[in-house]
Formats: sequence, structure tokens, C-alpha cells
Amino acid sequence: MARRPAPPRSVTSSQEVTDEQLDAYIHTRLALLGVDLSVLPADDEDAPADQRRIMASARRFLRSTPGAIADFEFDPMGPAPVIYPAEVSAWNRG
Amino acid sequence: MGEVNRRRFLERMTALTATAVATPATLGAIANAGSRFPGETRAGSRAAAGRPDELKLPPAGRPQPAELTELTLAEAARLLRDGDVGAVELVEAYLARIGRWDARYQAFNTVVSRDALEAARTADRTRGRAPLTGVPLAIKDNYFTAGVRTTANSFIFEDFVPDFDATSWARLRDAGAILLGKTQMGPLATTAASTPTGERTTANAWAPHHDDVSPGGSSSGSATAVAARMAASSTGTQTGGSITNPSNAQGLTGIKPTMGRVSLHGILPLTYTRDHPGPLARDAVDAALMLQIMAGPDPADPRSLGLPPVPDYLGAVREDAGALTHPERGGAVRIGVLPGFLDEPEPPEDPAPDPDPDIDRIGSSFPRRERTQAAYRREVATVEARRRMLATLEEMGAEIVALDFPTHWEALTSFNFNNVRLPERSEIFLEHLRDDVRKFGVSLAPWINGLLLPAAEYVRGSRARLVLLREVLDEVFARCDLVTQTAPFPFDMVGLPLIGFPIGFETGSTGYPRPIGGMFGAEPYAEHHLLAVIAAYQRATDWHLRRPADPGELRPAEGNGGGPRGGAGGSAGRDRSPGRYDLFDVMERGE
Repeated sequence: MARRPAPPRSVTSSQEVTDEQLDAYIHTRLALLGVDLSVLPADDEDAPADQRRIMASARRFLRSTPGAIADFEFDPMGPAPVIYPAEVSAWNRG
Repeated sequence: MGEVNRRRFLERMTALTATAVATPATLGAIANAGSRFPGETRAGSRAAAGRPDELKLPPAGRPQPAELTELTLAEAARLLRDGDVGAVELVEAYLARIGRWDARYQAFNTVVSRDALEAARTADRTRGRAPLTGVPLAIKDNYFTAGVRTTANSFIFEDFVPDFDATSWARLRDAGAILLGKTQMGPLATTAASTPTGERTTANAWAPHHDDVSPGGSSSGSATAVAARMAASSTGTQTGGSITNPSNAQGLTGIKPTMGRVSLHGILPLTYTRDHPGPLARDAVDAALMLQIMAGPDPADPRSLGLPPVPDYLGAVREDAGALTHPERGGAVRIGVLPGFLDEPEPPEDPAPDPDPDIDRIGSSFPRRERTQAAYRREVATVEARRRMLATLEEMGAEIVALDFPTHWEALTSFNFNNVRLPERSEIFLEHLRDDVRKFGVSLAPWINGLLLPAAEYVRGSRARLVLLREVLDEVFARCDLVTQTAPFPFDMVGLPLIGFPIGFETGSTGYPRPIGGMFGAEPYAEHHLLAVIAAYQRATDWHLRRPADPGELRPAEGNGGGPRGGAGGSAGRDRSPGRYDLFDVMERGE
């Protein structure tokens, strides 16, 4: 029997991770993909990008975005993923 | 004051006022006088009803060469059609301004003078009847232009010369438009226009001596080219505000259509799900003309197929279209106002806090703007301009409806859900990321971050898009036809249409007037409602008629935060080191 979809609700992710854990995650993920940050200068404010700033950005991203998205809970019978919602609304208009 | 009031210009041009200011009533005739629009048949084309007598006009006046670049797109198209202006003289007038001023503005990264003049000679010789025959346009440098370098201001495409035209540019070209050049943009359509290493290029046409005044991005050069009268109109792309932001920054009318309304085929992608091509124009009538030609199904882009027929945008902007009466429902157009739109801003602390240099601006919330006293004054002026704009529309017959935010608006339009787009760009450019991350120059960070968002979160974010759209449709558009927006991201996330348009001016740190912009959104594929209301608003106001003075007529203000771009006077030269955009400044300047 289909369940009535519950409205989305927001909860809070509270996992704390260290910079070292995040750095290991980032380096491992990039190594698996074959993306090499070592070609960038280690720390050079005058460079368009450097490893220090890229890693700082990545750590902040990981501390915020995945958890915030995961915290927004859906009922399993809730909406299917739709990457073109405006078009779907038109296609379903009949 | 350093500004050209176009109404005065038009008054000077008595003949033009009498004959050549294309009214929407005549635009339908223009659009249908020649070949059919490229693309598919338009349903319900009221433009086709343009009566022959609408074409019988008094003898046309000939604008002076220096005044040719003041013409709107529609005016120029009409004068060209009637033979009152030649394509060569129009192209030469634009090239003269580019030659004189673009070293200062840096709106273009490629100008195709010889090809443009050759195309103009052909147009004059053949007297084509297509609607834009002989009209010079500027095209953003992420649109494929056959035989013309298409770089997206990036290292990756610095030598790329496509062998075909992007569909939307091909439609404009087939409608008779002439390519003047490719416009400066943020690298790969992120941030405001800069070199791949982040060196700022393009000036805001309203403050050409001031690098601290953003031109808006990423379609910066497209906006500056039109605002500075170096092109009749232009094209842009919007993933996160890149049409509406520069339009607002430079007093233009730009429309970001619904996803799929304009084909993305032949446009270098930033994302699959949020890139939207559209025009940046001098007013809503010009925007309607451009969009009418650009829009329509394209077999090369499945996203453009199976959608409602393209409405008659030109009919929607006609003076007799009853713009503030809903065309289908009847009754007054309802304009929804979301909370905060008219809130008085809080004064900043005195002194305003210095920005924290260690703040990573791709962080847990939307990046903060340093709230200086100047920024505060601009916020106050913006709220006042919004009040005036709504009062004007209400006086014209619109119904203003106070709304609450949709249930999960705050969470689902947050910076974090906005980031769901990032894996798309990382996937598109994965081979280049694996080859050498230095190719991404100053805009590398979000590409790396996109590689770090797991698929589960991408899927969940894609479920959230549908929730957000349903709530917007059920809780907003059930009660109104258009809705105010203060940021482009929410409607960019779900592919809904937006229009940016001028609603006032404010004199800030430059000492010169700077445009204040407004923004409305609408239901899917309701661009005609947006255009109709803004065209009507522009018939009642003159913000869109104002033009910035040339750089030689402006003097840099003393003591402004960013320092002058160069000396006063008529020099077209500019500083060679105008500064660099912050690596983490992407979201403030659009993409």
C-alpha cells in the first residue's frame, strides 16, 4: 500500500570531522579520479589558484553542502529526482 | 551629470520620433514582413495580424551618423527595412564607437570588423527582408560562431574555432543579424569578465573609470557592449544570474527564458540543467524581438522539444495588448511580493566591519557583501525604487499581492542546494581536470568541489528541485502571475523565467548615476507575461531610456574605494592592471 508522502523536514547533521580527515578524503577522491592538485603552487596569493586555497575551499564545501543536503529528509515515496523540473511541469500539463 | 537622457535625444530627432520609433504595433509587421522566423511555426501568432496600413508611415528621417548607435534594435531594424539607414553605415557607426572606446570598456575580446562590413555590404546589396537584416549584434564568447574564435575566456578554449554556429546565434544570423564580435565574459561563464587568471577586463558602462563597480557577470561584455552603444543588442547565458545581474547593473532589460525555450546546442556548457541562453537588450521590446527569434524547438537539443508552442512575444509587447490584463484568465495581472522585498535595510555598524581575509566565500551560506556606508545607501535607494516601481504598476492597473515564502523556500534555495549544480560542471570538464587543473585558472575551486559531492546528495538535490518547483507553483503562482525576486538563484535552480529591468538610479561612490534593477519571475514558459508587463512599465517610465555618457565626458570621482580606472578626459587608454577578481567571489558576480 502506498504511503502518504510525509512533508520534507530539516534535521541537523552534527558529525564533526577534522581537517586531517577531510584532507585525506579530498586527496583520496581526487587520486581515484586522476586529478592532481600538486601542479599548483603550494601557497601563493598572487597565483590564480594555489593548493592552500583550493583545499580550504574544499574542506568548507564538505563541511557544509553534503550534510545540509542529506539533512533534508524525504519520505521514500516522495518525489522522484527531476533535473529539469520546469520542463517536466510543461510535459505533464496535458 | 554624466548621462544621456534618451528621451531628449529622441526629441532632438524629430523625424525619428515621427517615423522611426518602432511601436510594438509595427514590430509585428517588421517581424512578418520578410522571411518567416527561423524555427517552428508559432502558435497563436497575433503578430501575423499586423495590418498593411501599419507599414504606411510618414517619410523617414535619417539620423545623423553619431546618432545611429542610439537606435534601439527595433528602431534600427525598421529603418534598415525601409531603406532609411544602410547596414554599412550602421555597422561603421558601431565599429567607430568600438574603435574609440573599447580599449576603455573592454567589452569585446574579438571584433570581426572586416566580416561585419562584408556582411553589411551584402545586406545592403540584397535588401533582404528578414526581420533583423543588417542589425549588428554582440555575441557572448561561449556561443559557437563558425570560423570565429570561441574561447569562453578560458585557457581550455583559447584556440578553439568552431565550424558551426550555435543554434540560437544561427537563428539570429538567419534573421539577418550581423556579428560585430564576441564579448568578454567570466572564464567558462563564472564570475564577472576577466582573463583566465582573474585579471578584470570589462568596465561597467556607467562607471568606466571605476574598477570597483562591477559590470555584472558573467555576461559582462554583452551588457557593456549594449549599454555603451557598441552593439544594438547582445546575447548571454545564465546559470546563476548571468543575464539578469549584468542587465540590472547596466540599466538593460535582460530575459532569462525557461529551461528549454532556447536551444543550448552549440553553447559551451557550464551545467546541463541550469544554463539558459537569452538576450540582453535596451528595453523589453528589443528583448521580445531577440527572444522571438532565438526561441523554439531544436532537434539538436532534446531539452527544447515537446514544450508548449512559442508564444507571440512581439504581440505581447504591443501597446494595445492590454499588458496589465491577464491574457488568458482576464482581470488584472497579479504581481506577488515576497517577504523582505520592501524591508528597510539595517544601517551597517559604524565603522563597517572589515572583511575577514580568511573567510572562504564558498562557504556555508551565500557570500556576504561588505556592507559599507555606500552599499547601505544603495540598499536604501533600491528599496525606494522598488516601492516606486510597484506603485507605478498598481496605478497602471496591476494587483499587488503580498505573499509568504513557499514552505521550504529558505532551505531549498540555500547556498548548499544551489551547489547541487557543481558536479555537472566537473563531469563536463573531467578530462581537462585530469589533464591539468591549471587550465581552470582563477575559477578552479568550484570545479574541484563538484568532484567531491557524492551521487546520493546529487540525487537528493534533484528530488528537492521538484519539491521547490511544486511549492512555487502551488503556493506562489496559485495567487499571482508574476513574482518579485531579489536573487536569481532560486528560479535558476528550477529553470523558471526571469526578467531584469531598470527601476531607478542612485549616485554612489563614483559620483555618477548608476542603474538600480528590478527582477520578476513567472511560471514555466510565461516569458510573454514578463515581457508584456515590463513593456507596459517602460511605456510609463523612462529609466530604460537613459544612457551612460561616454568615458571622455566622465571624470573619476575622488576617494572612491576602488580607485579610478584611468585619467579623466577623452583618452581611450586604460590601466593595464585593473585588479583581479577574488577566487571565491563567484557567487556575487553571477555565472
